[in-house]
Amino acid sequence: MNYRLKTTQDDNDEKQPIWTAFVKIASLLGFEKKNITISLIAILVNSGMTLLGPLVVGYTIDKYIENKDYHGVLIFSGILLVVYVIAFFGSYIQTSVMGAVGQRTLFRLRNAVFTKLQELPLAFFNENKAGDLISRINNDTQRLNSFFSQTLMQFTGNAFTIVGAAIFILVINWRLGLAALVPAAILMILTRVTSNWIKKINLRDARAEGALSSEIQESLENFKVILAFNRRDYFKEKFNVANIVNFRMSIIAGLGNNIFSPVYDFASNIAQLVVLIYGIYLIAHGQLAIGLLVSFLLYIGRFYDPLRQFASFWSTLQIALAGWERISEITKLESNLPILPAETMHKATLAAHSRSIMRFENVSFAYPGDDGSDGDDEKNRGKKVLSNVSFNFDKGKTYALVGPTGGGKTTTASLAARLFDPSAGVIYLNGKDIRTYAPDERTQKIGFILQEPYLFSGTVKENILYGNKKYENSTTPELVEILKKDGLEKILQRFEGGLDTPIAGNADSLSLGQRQLIAFMRAVLRTPELLILDEATANIDTVTEQLLEEILRKLPKETTKVVIAHRLNTIENADEIFFVNGGTITPAGSMEHAVDMLLHNKRRS
Amino acid sequence: MENSAPIAKNPSLFGILKPYAWLTTGLILLGLATNGLNLILPKIIAQGIDVYVQTHAVLTTVLWEFFWVALGTFIFAYLQSIAQTYASEKVARDLRTKVVAKIAKQSYTYIQEVTAGKLLTNLTSDIDNIKNFVGQAFVSIISSAFLVIGSAVLMILIDWRLALAVLATLPFIGIAFALVFSRMRLFFKKSQEVVDWLNKIINASILGAAVVRVLNSKEGEDKKFIEANTRATDLGIKIIRLFAVMFPVIGFIANFATLVILLLGGHFIIENSLTIGNFTAFVSYLGIIIFPIIMIGFLSNSISQASASYGRIYGTLTAPDKKENGTVEKTLRGDIEMKKVSVCYGEKQVLKEVSFKVKARTRTAILGPTAAGKTHLLYLLMGILNPTNGEVFYDDALVGDYDPESLHRQVGLVFQDSIMFNMSLRENIAFSKTVKDADLQKALDTAELADFVETLPGKLDAMVMERGTSLSGGQKQRIMLARALALNPKVLLLDDFTARVDESTEQKILANLRKNYPELTLVSVTQKISSVEDFEQIVLLMEGEVLAKGTHAELMESSPEYVQIFDSQRSTNTL
Repeated sequence: MNYRLKTTQDDNDEKQPIWTAFVKIASLLGFEKKNITISLIAILVNSGMTLLGPLVVGYTIDKYIENKDYHGVLIFSGILLVVYVIAFFGSYIQTSVMGAVGQRTLFRLRNAVFTKLQELPLAFFNENKAGDLISRINNDTQRLNSFFSQTLMQFTGNAFTIVGAAIFILVINWRLGLAALVPAAILMILTRVTSNWIKKINLRDARAEGALSSEIQESLENFKVILAFNRRDYFKEKFNVANIVNFRMSIIAGLGNNIFSPVYDFASNIAQLVVLIYGIYLIAHGQLAIGLLVSFLLYIGRFYDPLRQFASFWSTLQIALAGWERISEITKLESNLPILPAETMHKATLAAHSRSIMRFENVSFAYPGDDGSDGDDEKNRGKKVLSNVSFNFDKGKTYALVGPTGGGKTTTASLAARLFDPSAGVIYLNGKDIRTYAPDERTQKIGFILQEPYLFSGTVKENILYGNKKYENSTTPELVEILKKDGLEKILQRFEGGLDTPIAGNADSLSLGQRQLIAFMRAVLRTPELLILDEATANIDTVTEQLLEEILRKLPKETTKVVIAHRLNTIENADEIFFVNGGTITPAGSMEHAVDMLLHNKRRS
Repeated sequence: MENSAPIAKNPSLFGILKPYAWLTTGLILLGLATNGLNLILPKIIAQGIDVYVQTHAVLTTVLWEFFWVALGTFIFAYLQSIAQTYASEKVARDLRTKVVAKIAKQSYTYIQEVTAGKLLTNLTSDIDNIKNFVGQAFVSIISSAFLVIGSAVLMILIDWRLALAVLATLPFIGIAFALVFSRMRLFFKKSQEVVDWLNKIINASILGAAVVRVLNSKEGEDKKFIEANTRATDLGIKIIRLFAVMFPVIGFIANFATLVILLLGGHFIIENSLTIGNFTAFVSYLGIIIFPIIMIGFLSNSISQASASYGRIYGTLTAPDKKENGTVEKTLRGDIEMKKVSVCYGEKQVLKEVSFKVKARTRTAILGPTAAGKTHLLYLLMGILNPTNGEVFYDDALVGDYDPESLHRQVGLVFQDSIMFNMSLRENIAFSKTVKDADLQKALDTAELADFVETLPGKLDAMVMERGTSLSGGQKQRIMLARALALNPKVLLLDDFTARVDESTEQKILANLRKNYPELTLVSVTQKISSVEDFEQIVLLMEGEVLAKGTHAELMESSPEYVQIFDSQRSTNTL
């Protein structure tokens, strides 16, 4: 599966008719039928009452004011007051119910995105820039937020008022009504014609914005390199390019989004002019009363004012839809690591596997991109990293993977932890296809200390217990005891504040070595059956490292350890050494053999 | 760069507009023209109706008048929106450029203190707030005030008694709005905090994706997320409830004003002191006046947001520049000396009175355990970190006295963490603009990258992703080395370079270095004795202090700590 999300500004986005937008929004609101019904009734009442107002006013003018009957004016003012009071309650119910629907929908939407983000495999994160992902999710959910929290309820209210006003004027006098609606019809056509363009320029604007913020983020986070290599100018230049692109896109988007408001005003004015000319003509021919002309002019306002707001809602809707589309790109993705149904195993096969915890059988692996789509810009795309390798990890033994950089050691380890699935072949964990394990069971059995561990902001303690269900509620003294038991308390001394040492994100406040120590404690506390250390001690000094080895020795006898390292002393205790290079994995036999291969094999990375 | 406007003591939001005086003036004029014309329309309609009622004749001049005014409104309104878009985007662009130019002048310490995240907010959401101010709030407030006052005046001119009655209801809209809005602002502030919280969780789940998958901690992350998400929804619903009260109240008051017009206006018409046309005009002006009242309230919020944002940006813009750059520009011999150098972060002492000398063209290893302060030491030598106390010399001059450009051209640093930029491999390596092709090739050969580059689809033009996820750890390290070597440096600083590169490659690279860069002074931070055993000097650093220095043989005699480390690594050295 190709996980690369669109970031370029291509112009061939699929065209979507307006109604699909409503279908999409409606499908998001599907859960709330009852509340939507309630608020629709409220909207009907509110709009009906709002629309009744001008009619009452016009009627009062014709019937009573023209005839100088002030008593009738008083009575009808009373009626008008009742109408307004009902409208008040209708409006309240409409706004509160519809608003709550919007908030709950947003809640579901955010959850859906986050859950999907958690489901997707690591490949997804490798193929997309972190900055772009973050901007996509944060900004785009924010755009949907402003739509659902504010626009949606006004939008529906306005829609009803507009339709109602149109019906009223057609009923009062259909000829005058039709004439008054002509400018609106022209507006509709105009909106329709431009809507795809509007959506496109907004989408492009959003992308330019994402590019700008990831540009800034990349540079700021790597500021020390920029300093050390005198590239302040480079920082400014690259930023300026992104800044100017963003400027252009925003201007185009702004011009497009802002054209509607004046156009709608103009249409409204023209409609008034039409009503005035034609209305007076009708009155002259005795087909309309002057009071109704006043009502008519009020209805024009009731019709065109919301229509004008409708225009700005429309652009918010377009922006929200553009955001929704960018987010759907993510939610549409499926994990390419599905859990297979458990298979029934022959007893014989099981027995054959009883000694080994993990077996690679004819495993091949290539990084995605061999479909040739857009993969030619990156070196590892489509390159075969492992071809048809088979080997065993036996229970309780220690294995070392050695080999030149780029030879495939980390890839092998990642496959063992099922961060990826092999492109061919099967990996067995305890005799069962690793793909049949539920994630919690699999990760319970396999511990993996990554090359560059990520720490979450919080304290050392929180990071050690991260994802650890067994100890997650331990108090600090309890945890100290637990750590002592495993011999981990000496490591803890490397942190000034002990368990409570604060950690600020993945910041530079801790050295890489210290981060690796935390990752080490985190993994050991989970007592995995298979523990993989991917150069997990590369930046730790040798004295501390001996300490770690001691701890590893104290692990239960059945624990299988797989160590990836360059420093040979870290692997001298290995029971078996595998040499990983050029797509193959060869048992090295002895340490000397391994060293020999390392020193003399031609690097093929 | 244009001269920044004279900056007042207190950052005034309107000060931003000073350099754009003509644009702003045009904007205001266009806004006033649009709204002025808008105000005339009801009056024209009233005239048309009245003329008809009195004479039963249609006045064509009135109709034409109406048409031209409507057209004029349209043209001015669109011109105004163009000007608004242009002005706001221009201000935003210029402000971003200014902020970036300022950041680019700052020191590494500054970025660390302020944090990249805050600067990013400065450049994105803070500037967006200012953009909103320039693009919408600024003109809208002036226009709104104009509309409110204009409508009020026109109403009074038509019939002062009716006008006063109608205008008397309007303050209630203001009061209702102010009451609700003050509470809403509180909620808005809270909901911004919740959004930040949500974003933090999302960011961690993206940056820590690998860890989350290895530890299967989805559930915990989900729980955190749902908690934040629930809070956000609860707050959202609270805000909605306030809206739900505010809108109907305002609507009702506006309707009530219509009722007043009907009751009182009807009475006046019956008395013959008001025409039907003017009655209609009153209803229209009522429609015009209400929206701006609400608008002013909303915009005051946008102004206060923009002010806060500008305050933050102003802080960044006026942060003291890093101290004056040195001016010494000369070719380095390569002698290095540290004299009693200490580095402190608050109470935390990272380096304590470190002193040592490195002779030109020799190789020195800085050996020490995790968190000994080795990396800080290299940053000091690079001049991207300043010592709290003590002095760092190259040849006979202080690091700070050198022109940084000239210094960085001659001193190359290979960072411990691999930092790749989202651009081609060539640009990633020839990162400085002065790199010549021959130097680039020599760097590639030395870093043992030439073969690897050959295997790439686009050779040196292959793109490297951010965070370099598609390259192996060792490849990234070697690219970092090539990047430093491409400068043809006099001094090379290596930060734990050997950690990610296998033994045979490392030895080849060290040999290449001696062959291709015989003039080089090398300072290598490492954990591994075997690769530096033959270096002219080894400095043992522990917990920020120099414990011992000398050759391997000397240290084996004099330093028990060194012997301990050596022993821990010895078993494999004998192989």
